[in-house]
Amino acid sequence: MISLQQVNKTYETPAGKFSALKDIDLEILSGQFVGIVGKSGSGKSTLLNMVAGIDRPSAGSVAVAGTEIQSLSENKLAAWRGRNVGFVFQFFQLLPTLTAAENVMLPMDFSKTIALRERRKRAVSLLERVGVGVQADKLPATLSGGEQQRVAIARALANEPPLVLADEPTGNLDSVTAGAILDLFRDMANKGTTVVIATHEADIARVIDRRIEISDGKLLHQ
Amino acid sequence: MNTLWRKAFRDFWQERARTTLVVLAIALGISAFAAVLSSYAILTRELDQGYLATNPASAVLRVDSADDDLVKAILQNPEVSDAEPRRTISGQIKAGPMQWRNLVLFVVQDYGNIRVSKLVPESGAWPPATGEILIERDAFQVARANIGEAVTVKTANGVEQPLVISGSVHDVGQAQARMENIVYGYINLATLAQLGEEPRLNQLNILVARNRFDEAHIRRVVSDVEALIKSRGHEVLRVEIPRPGKHPHSDLTGILLLAMSSFGLFVLVLSGILVINLLTAMMASQVRQIGVMKAIGGTRRAIAGIYFGQALFLGIAAVIVSIPLGIVGSRALCRYMAYFLNFDINSFAVPFWVYLLVALVGIAAPLIAAAYPVWRGTATPVRVALSDFGLSQTNFGASAFDRALARIGGKFSLIALAIRNSFRRRARLVLTLLTLTAGGLFFLAALNVRSSMINTLDHMFGLRKFDLTVGFANPYEFEKIQKAVSNTPGIKRAEGWFTTEGLHGPDRLGIVALPPDTRLLEFDIIEGRKLMPGDTDAIVINTALAGRDPKMRVGESVTLRIGGDEKAWRIVGLAREAFSPTPVGYIPLTGMVNSLRLAFDNPDPNSISVLKTELDRNLEQQGVRARASSTKSESRYGFDQHMLMIYVFLIITSAIVGGVGGLGLMTTMSLNVLERRREMGVMRALGATPRVIWLMIVAEGMVIGLLSWAIAALLAWPISKLVGDSLVQVMFRSGLDFTFEPVGLVIWLLVSISLSALASFLPAWKASRTTVREALAYE
Repeated sequence: MISLQQVNKTYETPAGKFSALKDIDLEILSGQFVGIVGKSGSGKSTLLNMVAGIDRPSAGSVAVAGTEIQSLSENKLAAWRGRNVGFVFQFFQLLPTLTAAENVMLPMDFSKTIALRERRKRAVSLLERVGVGVQADKLPATLSGGEQQRVAIARALANEPPLVLADEPTGNLDSVTAGAILDLFRDMANKGTTVVIATHEADIARVIDRRIEISDGKLLHQ
Repeated sequence: MNTLWRKAFRDFWQERARTTLVVLAIALGISAFAAVLSSYAILTRELDQGYLATNPASAVLRVDSADDDLVKAILQNPEVSDAEPRRTISGQIKAGPMQWRNLVLFVVQDYGNIRVSKLVPESGAWPPATGEILIERDAFQVARANIGEAVTVKTANGVEQPLVISGSVHDVGQAQARMENIVYGYINLATLAQLGEEPRLNQLNILVARNRFDEAHIRRVVSDVEALIKSRGHEVLRVEIPRPGKHPHSDLTGILLLAMSSFGLFVLVLSGILVINLLTAMMASQVRQIGVMKAIGGTRRAIAGIYFGQALFLGIAAVIVSIPLGIVGSRALCRYMAYFLNFDINSFAVPFWVYLLVALVGIAAPLIAAAYPVWRGTATPVRVALSDFGLSQTNFGASAFDRALARIGGKFSLIALAIRNSFRRRARLVLTLLTLTAGGLFFLAALNVRSSMINTLDHMFGLRKFDLTVGFANPYEFEKIQKAVSNTPGIKRAEGWFTTEGLHGPDRLGIVALPPDTRLLEFDIIEGRKLMPGDTDAIVINTALAGRDPKMRVGESVTLRIGGDEKAWRIVGLAREAFSPTPVGYIPLTGMVNSLRLAFDNPDPNSISVLKTELDRNLEQQGVRARASSTKSESRYGFDQHMLMIYVFLIITSAIVGGVGGLGLMTTMSLNVLERRREMGVMRALGATPRVIWLMIVAEGMVIGLLSWAIAALLAWPISKLVGDSLVQVMFRSGLDFTFEPVGLVIWLLVSISLSALASFLPAWKASRTTVREALAYE
């Protein structure tokens, strides 16, 4: 499903060059639930961004579901992401002026893979699946952190992507809510979706299939 | 409506106060554009339609005499649909003890059967009985008389005769009486006889049967008519062919309104700057949202669509607001112009194309303005957008300019903050300054153009050393007139001149023959020399004449037909004549004179009036009848009226542009406040009172206002000169003696400070009311 070969990422900073990823070789199979674990600044978000096509490698190649994504233009990449990747952020990043259901419908509007009249129905169904169906018509500001993250997960599933990426999805939640969110991801993986989450929390062993440890831009343990 | 449109709409709704300001600013621009464009459509249509409804003469032929037999003969020509004899005669009119006013009398044979150049009865009697006179509706102010009152009228060869004003008429084809300072009167043939004039008609108003708007065709028909008249033993003295189908003021009105339309577009461009500011700020505040949308599959095009959608909302809302405003504005403008040009508007209907154009321009302007911020805002790569830290972080302090600013303010931290804060968002500052400075420039230009016009007129009238011009119906030996002048005390100097028309090829020009050593006219010679004693074939031409023909140059020879004789003249000088679009040539006087120029010991209006009456009497004793007279102040009045129009236009312009500038500043200040909300929370947490926050923001607005004033002050001189020269060039084909009005700088300084304080008051008040907790929590 995911193949990274000799991926390096270097940023130019005022203090000089900074290597965020160094010689990364990584293969992730379909349906796996993978946790990328590392401290803050270790490179786990950069690695996730590489897989999502949010960032491009300075060297090496990234292939997701057979597509060499670094060769795609920004626009093609966005369209590809809309169909193939669901992304969940640490701070939920729901659009504040759209309701929960509308936030979920947004990727469908972008990708147009689902018929217009089906979109709302599907959004509500996804919200129900993650347990916030009753909040469908509420604006994000009126939802709790956990509820917002559930909406964000529903949004990630909007176009039924084969791959869901989550960057610190529980970093901003209390432990009970965090556990429930992780269970949702587990459930997704059980249904065949490849799930990769980046986290600095070590106690996710109970839900993941595979743990990848990263430190100073290098993979330590796969 | 899909989620993208919903987001576009709700984001705007969330920012409704700012959105409203921007909509208002755009609406102001579109309203101005719509008002002027509608006025252009209405006025040009109504002016020409109203004019055409009078069956205006295709040609006016001045003949020795015109009777019914001649008219019948002309009507035999199938190319002539109608012909009507009339007479136009100049004279003077006096109401009560008032002084004599210049009068143009129109003599109509049969008021019940006017077919060409029709008159519209307004009130009172119709037709005028013998011993009665009708007055053109616009001329009552000049005559200073009312219907029912008795006036005294005298013509060049007649006697003073009392007539009763029995009614008013509207004569669409005449230039505005107030501007010309002339009374238009309408009488019948019997009244003409009462006035001591020979009761004959000497003018033929001809209407061609077909191709009425084809000037070449009219000329051909008139040529045939002319030949016919001559074949019947009559003399054709002059032929006038007005521009077919066009009111005499149609072009001037069109030019004026088109100039105003371009101003409307200019305001629209300025309001576009507000759109740029609003969308730039909005996109900057949504960088992370843009990143998220890209991360979940939004292409740049799809995301740009949201913001273009917002620009579309702005445009549609502004068009909806501005169309009724524009219509109200256009009606006011049309009424003013109709009053000014003395015609009636039958319909204020605005043609569909105006709505269409206004809607297109109104919707397109914000979309165009949005292009750059949207293009730039959506270009941010996803990773950069997602790692955006929010708006409060700006890189102030990185440049040398910032560090220089950091030294300004001294002990007054509030002033230091206000100055430095105003420079934090430089692109926004520049755009805001553009609108405010434009307002200032228009205002300063209005004052400078006004004072320059006054200066130019002062200069122009300063060259005329005479206080009164008296015209005679016939030429006289100057010695005869000199006697009357000598018998009138208080006259410092008198000169007899001869003014007539000449032809240069087919083109008419004014000819002024005057003593070569004249002391009553100073030439403003810009090339060559003035006339000198001993000159016989020398001519001094004015700038309008030189501008008409490139061959008219000092040193060249020019052949002119004056009074039937052709003669070659040597151009010896070129004289500048501001505000004089009429081509004139000055030649040395030989022989008789037909006008008198007089300078008085005491040139105040009352003394002039008394002297004029006495001079008239003395002239009559010498058998000389004054046809018309005008004082220097009367001649200047018409110029002042035209200048007033330009001045009013510029002042209105500056008010509208200043309004857009104020709205722009208000938008900018509210965006600045929004972006620094957290910073203000920190200040509040550190002990700043709401009053301090309020003061700081108002001070920041005033810094921007002062900056705009300084830029406007620096640019005022060249811009005012450019605006003044362009406007006067369009209207009079001449330049201005430019003068700068320093008091304008003081006035605009006060206006700038007040406007900026006012514009920042509301954002400052809102900011000062935000609680510390809310401000600190703002992301």
